[in-house]
Amino acid sequence: MLLEARGIIMAFGAFRAVDGADLDVAEGEIIGLIGPNGAGKSTFFNCLAGDAQPTAGTIRFRGQDVTRATPEAHARLGMARSFQVPVTFEDMTVAQNVMVGAFLRHGHRAAARRVADEVLAFTGLDQLADTPARSLGTPGRKRLEIARALATEPQLLLLDEALAGLTPAEVRLAIALVRRIKARGITIVIVEHIMEVILSLAERAVVFHQGKVIAAGAPRAVVDDPAVVTAYLGHHMKRVRRGGVG
Amino acid sequence: MKQWPLVLLGFVAIAAWPLLTDDVFLQRLGALVLLAAISASAWNLIGGYAGQVSIGHSVYFGAGAYASLVLYTQLGWPPIAGAPVGMLVAMALAAVVGTPTFRLRGHYFSMATIAAAELARILVANWKLLGAAVGLMGPPVPRSVVDLSFISPVPYHYLFLAVLVVLLGLTWQMQRSRMGYYLAAIRGGDRAARSLGVPVLRYKLYALLLSAAFTSLAGSLYVVMVGFIDPDSALGILISVKMVIVAALGGSGTLFGPLIGAIILVPLEETTNAVFGGSGTGVTYIVYGAIIVLIARFRPGGVADLWRSITVRMARRAA
Repeated sequence: MLLEARGIIMAFGAFRAVDGADLDVAEGEIIGLIGPNGAGKSTFFNCLAGDAQPTAGTIRFRGQDVTRATPEAHARLGMARSFQVPVTFEDMTVAQNVMVGAFLRHGHRAAARRVADEVLAFTGLDQLADTPARSLGTPGRKRLEIARALATEPQLLLLDEALAGLTPAEVRLAIALVRRIKARGITIVIVEHIMEVILSLAERAVVFHQGKVIAAGAPRAVVDDPAVVTAYLGHHMKRVRRGGVG
Repeated sequence: MKQWPLVLLGFVAIAAWPLLTDDVFLQRLGALVLLAAISASAWNLIGGYAGQVSIGHSVYFGAGAYASLVLYTQLGWPPIAGAPVGMLVAMALAAVVGTPTFRLRGHYFSMATIAAAELARILVANWKLLGAAVGLMGPPVPRSVVDLSFISPVPYHYLFLAVLVVLLGLTWQMQRSRMGYYLAAIRGGDRAARSLGVPVLRYKLYALLLSAAFTSLAGSLYVVMVGFIDPDSALGILISVKMVIVAALGGSGTLFGPLIGAIILVPLEETTNAVFGGSGTGVTYIVYGAIIVLIARFRPGGVADLWRSITVRMARRAA
């Protein structure tokens, strides 16, 4: 397994945002983490990325225990991430943003620039290389975050709602990009609440509800799982659905 | 860099300045501009490039100033010989101040640096070895040329210019290296920087160590020229605030911003001091306050940013 999370608990006082969640990620797959708002998927995601340290449980990445490791140690080991609300470096150009990522494995400016140029071409940002990052709109920023993460040459890419807030056309472009990233041999974990994205991208979906994993498996099967339908729509809607109204 | 000819021209003008006038006030002004540019450029490494706004850099300035004079009063060393010692002391202090405060963000970091600096000022004001509240004096008459005690400000002008050129050269190199990119990333956001593998605390500390060393050197150069310090003139909060304002006025986080800021602010300050005499210190505070308000309201990027937007506009009009 590339990544193994066991019994992750994240407690804020008496409240458990994540309550004993497990996750296995095999090399080369795309896994979708889904669940209604407040299900604990983002908190769980932050634990995986090293941005938050779980109250209990263990996380192993490439065989190493990374439960208490810093985000920078995660990056060095080969894990990269995007943020729900993109955090680009506003004072820098698009290319310079990507170079920050490239500097992780290349100490020299020229080498970092070469890697950045390659990644910019791959993500379709090469035309914008010298524009200031602050002039980008949301889709551009999200793409830049992915480019920056790719420049660290990761084995595992964690995408936190990388497609939220995009128009349908932009979503299609982003889905194509994620597919190309997978084709490079990079494993992807994607948090998303747009069901369409998960259905068309993920090979496996893991459903969170109230801090627990309530279903996992092929996306189609998971979506029809009664427990999942209840979690998303509530008991009342389930009755409506059975009655054939929806 | 299309601007190199302009930069060269600027440095030639600065180098020629003391030769263009016989007026000692104006010659002295040139040296003071360069000294302010050195300390503000040193501050710029951590405050500008890394975006960690320290308002306690007087600690490092004082370290250099006091090291130079205490080694003279105790051991009879020429004041400039204390400079390397001051730089080491400043770096040690930077490690002590930086390690805990770098965990604080934004205003909290700035406030912690003020607290550390005030603590240092009060300690020194009660420390006999360092002259307590009275302060320390340098050599009253030069014992040899090594004391660097000159009546004319001109030798200081060239000494300071040499140090400034070295510091800006180093900064330029740093800006283009991994460290420059990492500091800019840290300024852009700790969390995103760390996710890309930037060891944030370590790089903040590198920047602070470099910054503290050169700020300390500025302190040593100051006492070499002035020959006297007391807790207020070496460790007062005005010393720290001045570095911030000079850098911010010119453009913090840019190579030449602090120098531009010094060229504008120091003549302004010296003129008010000359006009108002001894009662002028209060006016300095008012001027500083007004400048902070103006920069914050109209040009957070400083004069360098104003210059950039003018050149961009002219280039667009020409196209």
